[in-house]
Amino acid sequence: MLLMMAPQLVVSGVTTGMLYALIGLSMTVVYRTTTIVNFGQGDMATAGAYATLVFAVGLGLNFGVAVVLAIGVLFALGYVVQRALLRPIANAPHLALAMMALAVGYALRGGARLEWGNQFMTLPRPYPQGALALGQVVIPTDTLVIVGFVLLLLLILLVVFQATPLGRLTQAVFQSPRGAALVGINLDAFHAVAWGVGAALGAIGGVLLAIIVPLTPDLGEWVLVQGFAAMALGGFGSLGGVVVGGLLLGILEKLLGFYVNSMFIDITGYLITVVVLLVRPQGLFGRRMIVRV
Amino acid sequence: MPEPLLTARGITAGYGSQQVLFGIDLDVYPSQTLALLGANGTGKSTMLNTLSGFVRPWSGSLRLDNEELAGKPAHRIFRRGIVQVSQGRDLFPDMTVEENLRLGAAIRRGPVGQLLDNVFGSFPRLAERRAQQVRLMSGGEQQMLAIGRALMSQPKVLLLDEPSGGLAPAFVREIATIIGVLRSTGVTMVLVEQNIKLALKVADRFLILRDGRAFERSDMREGAISEEEIVRSIYL
Ligand SMILES: Nc1ncnc2c1ncn2[C@@H]1O[C@H](COP(=O)(O)OP(=O)(O)OP(=O)(O)O)[C@@H](O)[C@H]1O
Ligand SMILES: [Mg+2]
Repeated sequence: MLLMMAPQLVVSGVTTGMLYALIGLSMTVVYRTTTIVNFGQGDMATAGAYATLVFAVGLGLNFGVAVVLAIGVLFALGYVVQRALLRPIANAPHLALAMMALAVGYALRGGARLEWGNQFMTLPRPYPQGALALGQVVIPTDTLVIVGFVLLLLLILLVVFQATPLGRLTQAVFQSPRGAALVGINLDAFHAVAWGVGAALGAIGGVLLAIIVPLTPDLGEWVLVQGFAAMALGGFGSLGGVVVGGLLLGILEKLLGFYVNSMFIDITGYLITVVVLLVRPQGLFGRRMIVRV
Repeated sequence: MPEPLLTARGITAGYGSQQVLFGIDLDVYPSQTLALLGANGTGKSTMLNTLSGFVRPWSGSLRLDNEELAGKPAHRIFRRGIVQVSQGRDLFPDMTVEENLRLGAAIRRGPVGQLLDNVFGSFPRLAERRAQQVRLMSGGEQQMLAIGRALMSQPKVLLLDEPSGGLAPAFVREIATIIGVLRSTGVTMVLVEQNIKLALKVADRFLILRDGRAFERSDMREGAISEEEIVRSIYL
């Protein structure tokens, strides 16, 4: 029976969906502090994976150490990108900032092409590859690891954003940057750190991704589309929403791809983005767009 | 006269290649209010923004308690105690009154309950609306909140940019009363105003800005000079 495949497809969809969610989460962190959607985030994620590759395979470091170093490198990259490239045009229209973010992504992709061309690389699994059988359904260790990491990060972000003074400050900066500056916040530092944290979270997503799919320089573009679709579906700025959005996207593309046509694996992200922006621009859980007083 | 708390000397500033301020000198004395008057577009807000560090002066000196502040970023100047209420108010629209006030003390460590009580004590209207979303408040209430938020950091010098701007007469009177109370409790202020009556009521000294240059008018006191004459010196 074809229908019997459905649960297994859902498991597979949850696995990739959680990765989309993580990319979307990293973009949400930047969005909620700077109101900018980082169109270079997909390439920052793959840069994180490549950095891990260099440290773990190239230099032969322990995998955990390699990941921590890669996260550090990406934090620094995000911080520097904001300081050196976005801050000087901070007063330019939003579109210019988005274009700059996109350009950073292209530059990273270009750099990866120079070194790795069209090679397919994979990150070594730092844990044994196994599976858990639940009746007819097989749950791979990859799924458990990915779901665990993303839920943990979601929990941490929810607590930080909703229940700490730092979260309140972030909200303040989002609602009125000038208001935040008027109460003594160092906006430049705040924005730069937000970009650093976003890039670091993206790196975690890139590493988890490169464990289950082949890493290529162009992977970043696809990652961006999926992360953006997860954000659009969940509602821009909503942390829980982006995770639900990523999950739905992951499950939907697997089901459509299997039961309807395999091309849906590639285009569901685009489709969802278009449909959501047309039909329900605030997404499933988004609040109304902020209108300044 | 005691020593001035805040002094500016030869401040020049502008935007891009357009110069707006052409060498402004001013002194602000402790517990006094200096009014900055002038027509639209003469650089009053630019001067306040220079004092608070939001606009970087091209040249000149800015000293608070004899510490040079010119060229320091806004968040450092804030920490030294120069706090601004901007012309646009710049509140956090989707937060409550109390959340906005608490954020006024965002960079302080330790409890802010006492400060909050003080502000609610001076602004009963805000106390009644402490859980209200700011977006839904009237312009006058928002102006009070903007002043209250600035007071939460216990500023050494409070900069007010047209607090009566765009408000109904009843609110203008209320704002005037509040500024009067602040002055009598020893708050040092620089007040930009287009409402000359209000300025005359609360200020100790007057500076008139014309085309980016400042002139002190020591003869300006309530009753000492006709309003028409003041308007003439500002606009003609
Ligand atoms: N951010 C800015 N960028 C470029 N020019 C500016 C900027 N802010 C003000 N200006 C210009 O500088 C000049 C002085 O403006 P400013 O806002 O300081 O005047 P003002 O006296 O406060 O006026 P108003 O009474 O209308 O508030 C004006 O010509 C204005 O157009
Ligand atoms: Mg002004």
